[in-house]
Amino acid sequence: MPQPRQQAARIAQQDEADLVARAVAGDRAAFGALVERYAGVARRVARAVLGNPDDADDAAQDAMLAALVKLEQYDSRRPFGPWLLRIVANAATDRRRRRTVRRAEPLDPGVAAGGPRPDITAERRALSERLRQALAELPERRRIAVVLFDVEGYSHAEIAAVLGIPEGTVRSEVFHGRRRLRGLLADWKEDG
Amino acid sequence: MRELLPFDHRPDAELGDALRQALDPGDAAAFVARVLARVDEARPASWAAVLARWSRAGVAAAVLVALAAGYLVGRASTLPAARPSLSDALITPPAHPGEVEIVFASVLGN
Repeated sequence: MPQPRQQAARIAQQDEADLVARAVAGDRAAFGALVERYAGVARRVARAVLGNPDDADDAAQDAMLAALVKLEQYDSRRPFGPWLLRIVANAATDRRRRRTVRRAEPLDPGVAAGGPRPDITAERRALSERLRQALAELPERRRIAVVLFDVEGYSHAEIAAVLGIPEGTVRSEVFHGRRRLRGLLADWKEDG
Repeated sequence: MRELLPFDHRPDAELGDALRQALDPGDAAAFVARVLARVDEARPASWAAVLARWSRAGVAAAVLVALAAGYLVGRASTLPAARPSLSDALITPPAHPGEVEIVFASVLGN
């Protein structure tokens, strides 16, 4: 008998396959539902690659529209998320390569120097800045792997499908990426 | 914070939350609206539209071919078969040396 979680995943996959079929047939609302469902993860992955939120949204949008064009090529027996996120990751990487003028937002000098933290909001914001900075220092593949694993809850196998690399390499990327980010988080907590 | 194991297969909730906040993209509804506003530009033409476009081009090409064929057939049937007379042959300079002699020979033969 299937586990409730597996059953839920299968229902979700079936639901997505239906949405995709309707979107291919020209149902705008079905495509809208897919965009709504994946907007968050797509934008976060793009931002992990690009740093700049505007660039990230442009890349995520390009990827969504590219996915719509390629939707007929999607194999509905496979999960939709990794298929879409592969397009997102490629769009973001492409944009980063082409980007020449705009750069990631500069880090607040106070934050970079570990300056004073007047209140909790500012503290959280500063931590976010430091995490983004730390992410930006990681190799691109490692960034995506950590974000998909720890933020979005994707499995190693699914991330392997997104990145087009072996599962063992994903485990290694997640491990090394986390080590750097967890260290930063631990330092922050000790300072606080 | 948990001890870091090389093959830890569990997501780290604490790190995940912190990263989620750091990468928070903001207004989701605006993004969805923005993507949907561009759907019509990106959507590939439907098969019916493609076939309709092809059939229009096909009909136009067929009409052109029919007109050209009709013109050529009409022209061929209205023009009399042009056959050079003897005087034409004598007046026209020869294209190849020896041609005049052949005409003279045939006239003298008659």
